[in-house]
Amino acid sequence: MDRLLNIDRRIIFIFVLLGVAIPLLIDIHLPIKPTPTVRAVYDEIERVSIEDPDRPVLVSFSYGASTMPEMEPMTRSILHHLFSRGRKVVGICLWPEAVGLAQPIMDELAAEFGMKYGTDYAFLGYKPGAQAVVLNLGQSMAGTFPFDTAGTPVGDLPILAKVQNLKDFSFVFDFAAGDSMEFWWIPYGQEKHRFPFAGGCTAVMAPDLYPFLQSRQLVGLLGGLAGAAEYEALIGVSGSATSGMEPQSVTHVIIILFILLGNTVYFTTRRRGGKA
Amino acid sequence: MTRDSYVFVGFLALFALVNTILVANGALSLDWDGLGVIVAAGCTLALYSFLYKDNPLFKFAEHVYVGVAAAYVFGITWYNSLYGEIIVSYFDIGEKGANGGGHNPWVLLFPTLLGLLMLTRFSRKFSWLSRISFAFVVGVGAGLTIPRYLSSFLLGQLEPSLAPLTLSWAGLNLFLVLVGVITVLIYFFFSVEHTGVVGHASRLGIWFLMVSFGASFGYTIMARLSLLIGRISFLMDDWLHLM
Repeated sequence: MDRLLNIDRRIIFIFVLLGVAIPLLIDIHLPIKPTPTVRAVYDEIERVSIEDPDRPVLVSFSYGASTMPEMEPMTRSILHHLFSRGRKVVGICLWPEAVGLAQPIMDELAAEFGMKYGTDYAFLGYKPGAQAVVLNLGQSMAGTFPFDTAGTPVGDLPILAKVQNLKDFSFVFDFAAGDSMEFWWIPYGQEKHRFPFAGGCTAVMAPDLYPFLQSRQLVGLLGGLAGAAEYEALIGVSGSATSGMEPQSVTHVIIILFILLGNTVYFTTRRRGGKA
Repeated sequence: MTRDSYVFVGFLALFALVNTILVANGALSLDWDGLGVIVAAGCTLALYSFLYKDNPLFKFAEHVYVGVAAAYVFGITWYNSLYGEIIVSYFDIGEKGANGGGHNPWVLLFPTLLGLLMLTRFSRKFSWLSRISFAFVVGVGAGLTIPRYLSSFLLGQLEPSLAPLTLSWAGLNLFLVLVGVITVLIYFFFSVEHTGVVGHASRLGIWFLMVSFGASFGYTIMARLSLLIGRISFLMDDWLHLM
């Protein structure tokens, strides 16, 4: 019993490693059912595509390399959905690292759907200032982002011809690995200008953001790899999030079993009056 | 040599051997793309080697990551903002100059000055000047934050919490939220002794908090595993071509 209570953590690591590696090699096919919060994002994009097709969508990238496995699949699935519906998309970054991560994905997916740079999509790059950037966007788009990443003045981009500020976007979506959704976009953007706003975040952040769904400050939310996998299921694309759900589920079972084992041994030892 | 030294040398030899085989059989190309995959695989394995124990390989990869990330952030900030907007605007360089971007460079004078004053922190003689910038940041920050946070986090959250209760699942959810909010607030109300009804409500508040912590912990495990899955997928697919 004492040996089980003091199990070497490296043994648990090996189990977790096997729990990830084996399902990646063997296809298990677990069903993925979209949750209401994820479906709400899908429905909102469908709604603005029908009801408000002329105004562009603003996507904000606020993540870095350390959260790429979670954030990249949801970036791909949201942009895939937007471009597949012919939505015009403007991309900005509130994290410097996001420039090199998001722009290639945006260019790749835009090319896949035959979208033309400047007319159908634009990438304005990074601007430091966090909430100050959001605040400024509410006043002037060109004042906040005077140029795109290629150095073209935003006034020369047809996609932004009718955009003065945040109110001129039909929908705003934030990919957040930090504070951006909760402390930048909601207080200084959505709450002030009342535009439809949704986001995708790392799983760590998701519980903190659920209250904003109830208050409708967020239309919907994609939480972590699971949220991305659910969105892939909605748009009918089997990407890295979908394949990641199988090892995710297996590893969760392994962790639950270790928790049960630890608690069983702990309470058994305590009942026998041993050292616990 | 200690056992750890053998493990260290053995790991490096095995990594070199695997890469040689991958290049020899054409799985990895001998170009910048192939080299990128090898470096990324090496860094990933070096960082995960910490799970065995702290070692020089882990420290090397950790320092490389910090250095590269800092340099990248500096480069992006320099070219996008410091050079791209401030220097170019003042000196009217090329198309990005004052007229090209429709920017009035004088608008940037005050924030640039405040930014420069921040740098006086490096001088003992002039560091007092940085207080002007900090006073501006604190004053503007508080002025902007207090009303916005009150509106978004207090009033914005109070409204749905006090919505009318109905005999439905949504009504039950609302009721649970309401009970949770009240009991957790009671738990953090220390002016009254937590006995009797207040004690029971406070204990219920603890249960709500525990459930909340459990949910956060569960999501944290999911997040960390997602990152692990991403790296293992990279190693098995892009590097070893097993998938």
